Amino acid sequence: MAPVKEGVNPKQRQYEAMVRALSADLYRYAFWLSRSETVAQDLVQETFLRAWKNLDALRDAEAAKPWLITILRREHARLYERKRLDTVELDDNVPEDTAFASPERSGDAAQVREAMLKLPDKYRDPLAMQVLGGMSCDEIAESTGQQPGAVMTQLFRARQRLKALLGGRAAAEGARK
Amino acid sequence: MNCLDFRRRIGAEPRSRDPELLAHRDACKDGCAAFWQRAQRFEDDIEAAMAVAIPEGLADRILLAQATGERRRQLVRRRTWMALAASVLIGLAGGGMLWRQADLNSLPALAVAHMPGELDSLDLTQPMTDAQVEAGFVGRATRLKGPAPAGVTYVHDCTVGPYPAVHLVTRMNDEPVVALYMPGKMSSKTTDFRRDGWEGRQVALSGGTLVVMAQGASRGTMDAVERGWRAAIEGPAAPRVGQI
Repeated sequence: MAPVKEGVNPKQRQYEAMVRALSADLYRYAFWLSRSETVAQDLVQETFLRAWKNLDALRDAEAAKPWLITILRREHARLYERKRLDTVELDDNVPEDTAFASPERSGDAAQVREAMLKLPDKYRDPLAMQVLGGMSCDEIAESTGQQPGAVMTQLFRARQRLKALLGGRAAAEGARK
Repeated sequence: MNCLDFRRRIGAEPRSRDPELLAHRDACKDGCAAFWQRAQRFEDDIEAAMAVAIPEGLADRILLAQATGERRRQLVRRRTWMALAASVLIGLAGGGMLWRQADLNSLPALAVAHMPGELDSLDLTQPMTDAQVEAGFVGRATRLKGPAPAGVTYVHDCTVGPYPAVHLVTRMNDEPVVALYMPGKMSSKTTDFRRDGWEGRQVALSGGTLVVMAQGASRGTMDAVERGWRAAIEGPAAPRVGQI
């Protein structure tokens, strides 16, 4: 991709830099939120379009990722509202395979992914915000409208549940390392 | 901080660099450092698992969608502004044309436009008789109600624009002043004008409109001529009660 040209206005430059720096993490977060590649791509597109319209509201570059994640969660909620009647329980759904169609499918990462897909939304969502979004408990709490203590509990339980789902692997991990 | 607090915090925030946490990790003799190590490795696994493959060209597609939408919005904005500007221009041009048309058809414009063919009348100095003057008005079906001003050197029935008129020249203080009386052409107000070297006044009378104009005549002469023709056409003003 050609570098950003100097003639481009500062807002456009800021936007392009933001897209290039954060679209990957945002897509991953969208994927774990929706468990669908197609929906994740749509969510990321829509999120960045909304971000463009409201870019003047972003004052601090450090706040860009949490800001985008908050927008994306709203978009996901809207999408869920629109599609509610057509939606089936995602826990019973097989996730789209492309994201897993790599050699590591049979390795540790694949096992952890399978386990993560089994996590309830209330655990997976804050975990993805923390791991992919780099958000603190306070930031997650602000974005989700919860108390920081409640978020901390969810994060603790998310990891506990993951370890339980991974069973012997997690136990073995302790011995392995 | 005790070991339970430490492990709860690390269980929720394994990557935390809180100095209190790190101090406990380094000081604890009950295996908290090993717990921390295991938590870091588990976190590495979670991060690796969450790093699903990114669709090729994702960022470019996002930028393309934004650029396309922005360009479309710009086009809509530009078209809107152009339509507004065109509307304003059309409005101004239309207004200007209407104003110009109205101005060209105004009595002062018609009166001035009438004069190029009548300039010789301004050079006449021989006074006309009252009978000649009255005959000029009779030709326009108008009868004078008072005496004509002195010094009338020209009288003729003309047409000013579409209006039948009596064309008069009154020489006063050696200054020729033109008077055009258009019987039946009613106007509601008296206005002064200056146009193409002519100074004049459009005067509303009871039976028609009088235009008095001259080139270079004094205001006093113009006023006197206007008063003279007003009195001749409308009749002498009735004396006001109480006026001496």
